[in-house]
Amino acid sequence: MFRLIKIESSKLFYKLKSWLGPMLIMILVLTAFPLSIDISQFDLEKFYFSIIVVSLLMTSFLATEGMFEEDFEDGSLEQEYLVEQDFYKVVLSKIFVYVCFIGVPIAFIGAIFSFANGVAIGNFINVFVSLSLSNLLLFNLFAFGNALSINKGAMLGVLTTLPLALPVIILLGTAIRSIQYGNGFLEIISLMIGMGFLISAIMPLIISTTLKTHID
Amino acid sequence: MISVIIHKFSSPKSFVQITKTLYPLFIFTGLFMLIIGWTWGLLFAPPDAVQGNSYRIIFLHVPAVIFAELIYFFMALCALMHIVWRVRLAAYLIKSAAPIGAMITFIGLFSGSIWGIPTWGTWWQWDARITSTLILFIMYLGILTLHGSFSNLEKSDRLMSILVVIGVVNIPIIKKSVDWWSTLHQPASISVSGGSSIDPSMLYPLIISVIGLGFTLISLGILTSRSYILGREKNKKWVLDHV
Amino acid sequence: MFDIAFNNVNEIIGMNGHGIYVWSVYSIAISILVVSFLIAKNRIKGVKRKIKIKNAPS
Repeated sequence: MFRLIKIESSKLFYKLKSWLGPMLIMILVLTAFPLSIDISQFDLEKFYFSIIVVSLLMTSFLATEGMFEEDFEDGSLEQEYLVEQDFYKVVLSKIFVYVCFIGVPIAFIGAIFSFANGVAIGNFINVFVSLSLSNLLLFNLFAFGNALSINKGAMLGVLTTLPLALPVIILLGTAIRSIQYGNGFLEIISLMIGMGFLISAIMPLIISTTLKTHID
Repeated sequence: MISVIIHKFSSPKSFVQITKTLYPLFIFTGLFMLIIGWTWGLLFAPPDAVQGNSYRIIFLHVPAVIFAELIYFFMALCALMHIVWRVRLAAYLIKSAAPIGAMITFIGLFSGSIWGIPTWGTWWQWDARITSTLILFIMYLGILTLHGSFSNLEKSDRLMSILVVIGVVNIPIIKKSVDWWSTLHQPASISVSGGSSIDPSMLYPLIISVIGLGFTLISLGILTSRSYILGREKNKKWVLDHV
Repeated sequence: MFDIAFNNVNEIIGMNGHGIYVWSVYSIAISILVVSFLIAKNRIKGVKRKIKIKNAPS
């Protein structure tokens, strides 16, 4: 497992587009949005979170785009299947690496921008944790979309997995409202942690079955 | 044991033969009940005290959204059968049901939008129920697109089944959205567990319309699945005998 | 329960100003259903014809 994490980390490090691109886009969207519309700070504070949520959704999709495509095209997925007879560990380590090196930094950027737009400094950690957990869920879902569409392009991935992201968006929205109004945050975050564990355990299994279907 | 029973009753050949016999019965029952239900609802049911006559869209809208969700449930059951027992027929049925599901979800969305103009003063509202139904529509499109993306049809069947099973998580959200969030959309007027909030003079035609549309959609499903099965199994001997 | 809710045909069509919404929804839905049935019927015919042509003795 550790070997796989090491391999995936080094692979991701050299794919500059995959990790730097989403972060830059996140910064760009969050910076450009207040500039592009002429509204008061009061109004901006009210719905700036929506922009953070949408940017998170967009960037996590961008980050996972082509997650398995390259490995599928160059035969390394097939090779891994011959060695391990299963993709579970490969998928698990891949998602882990992506969440750690792309998901968490994106959540950090989102939290910083929310802080700059009226969120109390004491809530910084709460926002960061909510965004990180949402990213964990979204990365799992979009990895599934990527495994389904493998080499058929991003359009198919969006169409198949965006509806599945609906519950995550609802949860994140509820978490953010609970931060803004100052009640029920612990319950929501516990639910998100529970879902995070559950999805992180089950989704690699489903993705593994999906990838096996492509290899078979 | 379950596996033996499933395989015995799930051969495409027996499905085509049985449904060919059942089709006239289903289409007749469906159309007859739809005519009764809609005529009763449109002409004989009294106008609503608040909404006036615009509420008559309910006799189309409610059955449509009920079947938009039920068809997905049916597809999820088939997908499970295809994944666990590798039942070929189950995959054929998913592929045949998906366009019908998309069509009826579109009718549900469209009729709801039109109903919204005189009732809410707007044809679209980004509230929980409408948005989640739109997501259901996109899910149907996603399933169809995914199936059409691969030239290997066995592979497409399997990937489609996986997606359908995973997507079922959205159905309870759609169903309970009107209870969980504050929305413009009213809570469900009729419920299986009883406690209907609607007057019998409106409820009976509504129930008849639901049953009628159900039989009509099953008939349509029989036709689409028959054409799909014949196309997929065209090289089998039984198909040649059937044709 | 079984008394007609309208006095004449004009009332049925107009439905107190709501006729345009009610009738347009029903007519479009019925058209979609009818077209779906026609497409499905034609597909069966098409598939059967193709199979027959493919397996016709040359």
